This record gives sequence, structure tokens and C-alpha cells, in this order.
Amino acid sequence: MEAILDKKNLNDWIAALDGWDAYAPALEDGVWSYRPASANAALAHPNTVQPPKGFAFPQREIFFRFEQIKGEAPRLTPVQPEPGRRVVFGVRPCDGRAVPRMDRVFADHVDDGYYRARRKDLAYVGLACHKPQSRHCFCKSVGGSPVSTEGLDVLLTDLGERYFALAVTDVGKALMQAGGALFAKAGASERKAVEQAHAAAVAQPQRGVADAAAAPAALKAGFDSPLWEELAQGCIGCGICTFLCPTCHCFDINDEVTGAAPLKGQRVRTWDTCQFPDFTMHSSGHNPRDTLGSRLRQRVSHKFRYFHENFGMLQCTGCGRCVSQCPVGIDIVQVVNRVAGSI
Amino acid sequence: MIDLGALHTQVRDILETGEVRAVVGWRRGSRGMLAEPVTIATPEEAETLVWDPTCFHNLSLTLVEERKKPSWRPGKPIAVVAKGCDARSLTVLMQENCFRRDEVYVIGVSCAGSGVLDERKLAQRLPGVEPDSAAFDGDAFVCATAGGEDRIPARELMADRCLECRDAHPKLNNVVFGEAQPRAFDPPFAALARFEQEQVGVAERWQFWQRQFERCIRCFACRSVCPMCYCEECVVDSINMAVGADTTAAEKANRIRWIERSASRADNIGYHMTRALHLAGRCIDCAECERVCPVNIPLRLLNNKLEREARVAFGYEPGASIDLPALVASFRDDDPNHFIR
Repeated sequence: MEAILDKKNLNDWIAALDGWDAYAPALEDGVWSYRPASANAALAHPNTVQPPKGFAFPQREIFFRFEQIKGEAPRLTPVQPEPGRRVVFGVRPCDGRAVPRMDRVFADHVDDGYYRARRKDLAYVGLACHKPQSRHCFCKSVGGSPVSTEGLDVLLTDLGERYFALAVTDVGKALMQAGGALFAKAGASERKAVEQAHAAAVAQPQRGVADAAAAPAALKAGFDSPLWEELAQGCIGCGICTFLCPTCHCFDINDEVTGAAPLKGQRVRTWDTCQFPDFTMHSSGHNPRDTLGSRLRQRVSHKFRYFHENFGMLQCTGCGRCVSQCPVGIDIVQVVNRVAGSI
Repeated sequence: MIDLGALHTQVRDILETGEVRAVVGWRRGSRGMLAEPVTIATPEEAETLVWDPTCFHNLSLTLVEERKKPSWRPGKPIAVVAKGCDARSLTVLMQENCFRRDEVYVIGVSCAGSGVLDERKLAQRLPGVEPDSAAFDGDAFVCATAGGEDRIPARELMADRCLECRDAHPKLNNVVFGEAQPRAFDPPFAALARFEQEQVGVAERWQFWQRQFERCIRCFACRSVCPMCYCEECVVDSINMAVGADTTAAEKANRIRWIERSASRADNIGYHMTRALHLAGRCIDCAECERVCPVNIPLRLLNNKLEREARVAFGYEPGASIDLPALVASFRDDDPNHFIR
């Protein structure tokens, strides 16, 4: 299903989505992030600082609450997320491509009930990129495209005063149908305009991974390369690259005690990162991944090798956040190219 | 201005003669205009070092990290290129006995004729444009972009901490490059004063900080980048105790957790308040914590506030001299004590 939406009708469309909570990028305190859509949402954003990952995989998830009254059996109260139907507007194609990758991990490889509960009623309305959002974008070199529909339910393409809307899934089709007369039929001239816009977007130059197809084998061969420590030289060991990554999904589980008499609290899942020293620290105090280079190797190899070995696809979608937000400018493109190129 | 050629010669000389075992400085990075930290050990690499307004990083951090490694051995000094603020942080680290003075060879670079730029200000000034390089010509930053050169007055682009710079000329040094004359656009604590004028009441400020901390993602970049955050164990880590071969299972199970791992508002506030208090009288305003924060939390305001408290109450300026005792490790008869009741 293809249709045309006047930009001035965007907010009416959002308002017409009965039963859906809508989210859109907003600039608050100098940070672009997904917020509940205001009545005058406009999709005029660079990519958000944080990807939309948290909608299905929040940084903090309560699994269950517990309580132990002395002399009685412990009481467990499961917590099942019921977020309702949510639709996220303005998702860039790189972040869209992260969605099926996260689905592989949490809804295919295993069946994570918490992820499923959040994901099943979640829809993504994407926005094609006319030009790279930053000089660090490299979606094309990892199999993506600035106009990719992968993982999205609707793809909007900006045609000046109007959007060209393409329904990618049945959910997307239903979302567009809910807009009713706000959408106009797409004619041949609009089809041609969108084709041209997409071709121009794809033709925009980007930097990139030199040979993504060869990366898994090359990184395997380069496992013991001295380059890992060299490239990690400036690394400060923070969690920015992984916490802002649209596909990083490692987590930790802790019991948070909130009261002592009676003993009560909750079991909580939180994001974790391979970049923190305690991520792999054994209870003996031994840490098998105790250098910055070994942690950089883990992050990059997960994206470009292990995920590929497990699921047959690269995990990195080329959004460039880990590059543009790194305090010391560690560049995953350069890391892959240097290590792979040294083989 | 810094004579980069002279700096290269100096670096080559001290590596050639073996006066130092390595030099920590900045080189061109692969990420756009930004310089990146580098450690070099051969004289041939001397010329890869750069000096420009993107040399943000406080390189005393590299020394602290090196010191923590099991491979650390006392020996010949390591040289570090240090701006005025970085030299103050080396001073604090020496006051706290992280290093002896003879373990560090300080190559001072004075920012009297420059200062570093603020990437956030740059992004606002040139939306959507990321320059290939940035230089300082005495009055303005010159940013080279695909479309040519943009010359932007210093005041509009310079980092707040540089506008308020207390001492651009590194006092602690073995050798120093650049001018000694003071160059300050704003008085110290100007940004803090602006904040206090905007957010007057306690309730307003509490609201402001709650909103800021609410969006913290606990990536700990502020802690990781801080040379003063060198503790072996940190109150916020899931393993917030130094675990050794002798640590018993019961000790591990019963470890105290003051602050949970959850990025919840209460835990985030616990983390940031703890860090701010631990930096009182130690933070020398390199403002790296604020620069690296991916969600733009104005951490410098917190640290400045405590720095000013120490200055007003105790006349204490962190990083002034390695011969002075640390603020929290000293007592004078005339220290104010009216608040002890």
C-alpha cells in the first residue's frame, strides 16, 4: 500500500491512531530522544542519541517482586509488562534494521516473555534518509541502505511538502488505513519522485567497512592480532558505545532489596556491557577479559563475527553512534578495516 | 601560540636520550577533526603528535590507567603533554601520592593563546556540518569544511571552562611551550553564576537536577574519563568490593550495595551525588565529564559548585601546588567550623 500524506496532516494522522500511544523524536535539554508525540510533532530530526531499542528492551525491567515474612513461604509476584499498543515515528532505516536482529535474540533464539510482551504491540514508522545523518554513517557497507524498509512497518519518504508513505507490513497498512482520508492516492508522478529521491539517497557517498562479507572470517583469523590493544589504546572503558548501540543486548540480573522487615524487593534486569571490567569478572577475582583490547575485540567481534556465526547476518547496522559518541573517537569502521586488512 | 616543531624536537630528544620511557600526547584521529590520545615510545613517532583546539582530553587519565596495570613498574618517568588544567590534575594526583614528581615528565602546553572548543556549541553554530579540522588563529576558531572555511569568534565556540580558565599556563612542568600571559574571557564560576540566576529557589534547582539525572543511562563515561576517579572499587559497581583469592563466598554474597545498578532516578542521583562529593577539593575543572556525557547532563555545574565551596570556606584551590596537603587531609586552626554543632 502506497499513499501520500501532506506534512500538515501528520499530527492529525497521529491523533487518528485510536488505541495507540505515539512517540516521536524531540529535542529536550539538547538531546534528541523519543518522547510521547506532542500535538505538533515534526519529523525534522537528525538521528536520536539513543536508538528506539528501549521500547522493546528497556534499560531496566522488573521480572518479579518478592517478599518473605518470617515463618512463611517466600511470596513471588510476577510482573508482566503491559505497555499497550505503541507506535514509534521517525525511526531511521539503520535503527529499523536493528529490530529483526533484536527479534532474533529475544524472540527466536529464545522466547523472552518480557521482550515479547513489549514487542508484540509495537510498530515502527520509519523515515528515509536523503543524506547521511552524520559523517559517521556507514549503513551501505554493512548491507543496509538509507531507504531500507527492513524492520519497519511503514516507511515515510520526505518529498518536500508531502510524505510518500509505504506500508511494509499488515500492521503498517492498518496504521495508514486508520488515517483514512488524510492519505491521498499515490500517482505515477509521486512514484517517480520517490524513486528518484531513493536513488539520490543511495548515491550519497558514505565511508564504510571495506569488505563486510569477508569480515567474519578475517576477524576470526585476526583474533590474536596485536592491533586490538593498539586500537583500544585511548579507550576509557565506559559504556557509551554499547548502551547507545541499537543492537547491543547484554544484560545483568540483580535482586534489589527494598525492605528488611519483612524482607522484600524485586528481581531486575538491567543493560550491561562487555566494556565494563566486571562484566566478565569471575567470583574468584580472575578476569579473563582484563584488558581494553580484549574488550574492544569482544564488542567488534560480536557485531561482525559471532552474531554472523550464530544468525547468518552482521549485527552492526552502521548507525555510527558508537563512533560519533565515543569520548576518544574509537572508530569501529577503522577497527574492522585495520584488523581485517592485516590478515 | 605553540611551536609544534619545537615540541616535536623536545619529544624526540627525550625519547632518544632515554630520559623518559614513553610520551603521552595527541595525534590525528580517524573520527573527523578530533584529535585522539596516543602513547608513543620511539623518537620516530614524535612528529605524529598534534596540538589543536580538539585536544580536549585530560591525558593524566592515561597515566592513572597505566599506573593501575599489573605490569606497572617504577622506573624512568613517563612524559605527558599537559594543558594548564591537565597539569593541575597531575598536581592533585601527586598530592594524593598516585605518582611521585620524578615519575612524571610534564610537557606543558599553554592554552594562553588558544583554548579548546566545545563540540556542542559547534554543532549549534554549524548544524549538520562536521568540520575536517579546527585551528585557532588568536581570535577565532577556523573550521575547515567541505564548503570552505568557517571563522567563528573564540567566544562563541570555546568551552565554558576555557572561557573561565583559571590558569592556562601549566605551572607544574619540566618544559613548557606557549605564552604565559593570562587569557580569560569570563571570571571563574561564571556558568555556575548564570545557572544560579536562572534557577533561584531550592525547589526549582531540585526539580532541575531531577530532570537531568532522570535521563542518565549509567554508562559511567563521566567516571571513566575522570583522572580523579581512580578507586579500585566503586560504590556503584555490581562488584563494589575488591575481590581477591582470599575473599570468602559469604563476603561476596553480603556485600553492601548502596546504589543499585538500575538506571532509576533515585539510584542515578545517588551515583552523581557520591561522585560530586568525592571530587570536592580535588576536581580541577577539566570538564571532561560534562564533555563526554552522551545525554548532556551539565555535570560541570555540580563540580564547580563544590570547588567554589572549598574556595570560599577554606581558601583552597585544587591543583595549586604539590607541596600543599590535600583539602580533605588537612586541618588548620582557623578552618571554619561553625557548622559543627
